[in-house]
Amino acid sequence: MSKVLSFLRIVGRIARVRPRFVVGYVIVLVAILAGLLAPAIAPYSPIEADPTQFLEPPSWKHLFGTDAVGMDIFSRTIYAPRIDLTIAVVGTLLSAVAGSFIGALVGYYSTGRGVRVWASYAVMRAADVLQAFPVFVFAIALVASLGQSIQTVVLAIAFVNAPIYLRLMRAQVMSIREMRYVEASLVAGLSDLRTIMRHIVPNAMGPVLAQLSINVGWAILLTAGLSFIGAGVRAPTPEWGSMIAMGFQNVVTGQWWPSVFPGLALAITVFGFSLVGLSIEVVADPVKRRALVRDLARVSLCAAPGAASLSAKSTP
Amino acid sequence: MTILPYIGRRLLFIAPQLLGIVLVSFFLVKSIPGDPAVLMLGPTATPEAIASLRSKLGLDHSLPVQFWIYLKDLAHGDLGTSWQTTRPVLEDLVQRFPATLELVTLGLLVAVLIGVPLGLASAFREKGIIARIADFYGLGAGALPDFWLALVLIFVFYTLLQWAPAPLGRIDLAVIPPPPVTGMLTIDSLLAADWDAFRSAAAHLVLPVLTLGLVNAGPILKMTQSTMEKMLQSDFSRYEVLCGIPHRLVVRHALRNALPSVVTIISVLYGFLIGGAVLVEIVFSWGGAGQYAVQGVLNSDLYPVLGFVLFSAIFSLFVYLMVDLIYLAIDPRIGH
Repeated sequence: MSKVLSFLRIVGRIARVRPRFVVGYVIVLVAILAGLLAPAIAPYSPIEADPTQFLEPPSWKHLFGTDAVGMDIFSRTIYAPRIDLTIAVVGTLLSAVAGSFIGALVGYYSTGRGVRVWASYAVMRAADVLQAFPVFVFAIALVASLGQSIQTVVLAIAFVNAPIYLRLMRAQVMSIREMRYVEASLVAGLSDLRTIMRHIVPNAMGPVLAQLSINVGWAILLTAGLSFIGAGVRAPTPEWGSMIAMGFQNVVTGQWWPSVFPGLALAITVFGFSLVGLSIEVVADPVKRRALVRDLARVSLCAAPGAASLSAKSTP
Repeated sequence: MTILPYIGRRLLFIAPQLLGIVLVSFFLVKSIPGDPAVLMLGPTATPEAIASLRSKLGLDHSLPVQFWIYLKDLAHGDLGTSWQTTRPVLEDLVQRFPATLELVTLGLLVAVLIGVPLGLASAFREKGIIARIADFYGLGAGALPDFWLALVLIFVFYTLLQWAPAPLGRIDLAVIPPPPVTGMLTIDSLLAADWDAFRSAAAHLVLPVLTLGLVNAGPILKMTQSTMEKMLQSDFSRYEVLCGIPHRLVVRHALRNALPSVVTIISVLYGFLIGGAVLVEIVFSWGGAGQYAVQGVLNSDLYPVLGFVLFSAIFSLFVYLMVDLIYLAIDPRIGH
């Protein structure tokens, strides 16, 4: 119990010096909870239409109104994180794992001589080519060629984002591999692969972790974009992008609610993930972390009784 | 002068990269299920008709042979024919690419006009109200889906206020478009001194340009802000402050040193937006190159996709080359 209390106290202190971090975590938590608890909260089925109740404006009966076929928008909006977050998180994790693993190998073998150096050079040029593609057209083409399904959207997201992690990890590993402890590990008889996995990768993870959360936000946007043009998640499945697309024609004629509410939910969720990414960045960056710790110490000093006189004395 | 050999070296590297891009996109689009011959002739076609069309389109060859034929045509400036528009892809793209370019260039300009001043203002007063707005904007702009923002703007400025024209293309149907010179309607109508056409084209540009500008100002703002903060805290700025040099000059020198990073982020956005503005194009029925490519993917129309990918890759590589030349001009350290 006391542990929970002290944790809450730390959270409260962080909330006072960096309120936006807490906002980010709260948004992400709410989105996850909405997805998990949707069957309990949602007043209507997310995929069943009531043809007599089409395009009803927001009211107490239908909080966010109903769409052109008569589905309840509130229910669909809170069901949507199930599919959107799953696709985005799984796709991002896949790209992070594959991209950083290959990136670590490429970074480790980027100097010296032999076949491996050539292989790592070839991988980097391949990444150049992939990154020269227009992202969106590439993603649509991938989904179209693999057959449209949720799995292929996940794969497309993983594929499009992998070069980012590849480059991040490569740059990190190239600087870390010159460290003495890497040399020591090799001298101690560990194989290249074990040295990479046990001693290099854990020390190179910081930027990758910070990127992860920001990338989940992008992945949600990409999923929604794909669904918006009909190349992602198909219609009755509750998904923010396809909901916005369904309301497209209605917006022009004046019924704003079918598109505006799912779009707001989408934007707030992505915003939350980028705030979480920002907080991880601060923890991973020594300079910013020091600033945070300094601010935290000041807050806890002020909170303690008699702190005002103490801090007045210490500042000349 | 070492600039010409430098450009030559860069162009040498571009060729294999373009080949790689064409190779990947060719096999990727070819692997999309759906036979163009069947799609062109419709469901009632006889097998003989389909077979003869397949051989006419060269679809009966093996994939590597088809790729070789495509490369040979490419060398003659033939980008193939789109079966949807039944026109040569090169003609289609020459018509549509300027539409996208006009939209994206103006959108990016708006983004720079929003992003750079806000970034600068927030870098000076880190605790002020402008800095707070800028912080929030920098984070929030990246979270907005551009196609959704476009819809909201349409709802407010077209449906409610009736200020903007209907989101249906680049110019009013009743207005005769100016004779094409550059393909960009605003410039063409100015060249033809056709004020009605110019007014209509400019009015149609406002909402999509605003959408792209508002969304893409975020990254420019963040980059300006963080680089300027770094520059103002660096040794040369502190030294200037210690020497009593006026604040205005200190800022100007810091800005001069922050410029390369700002130019970089702008160029990256420019390359990205050629393909990344697709959704905004679709919302406004813009008929640009991105929309053309997406239609191609969705209808297994191979050549428009390849043509678009090629065009946009060449465009981004050109932008990067220009940026490197700009670096030479604005950063004396690189010249040596």
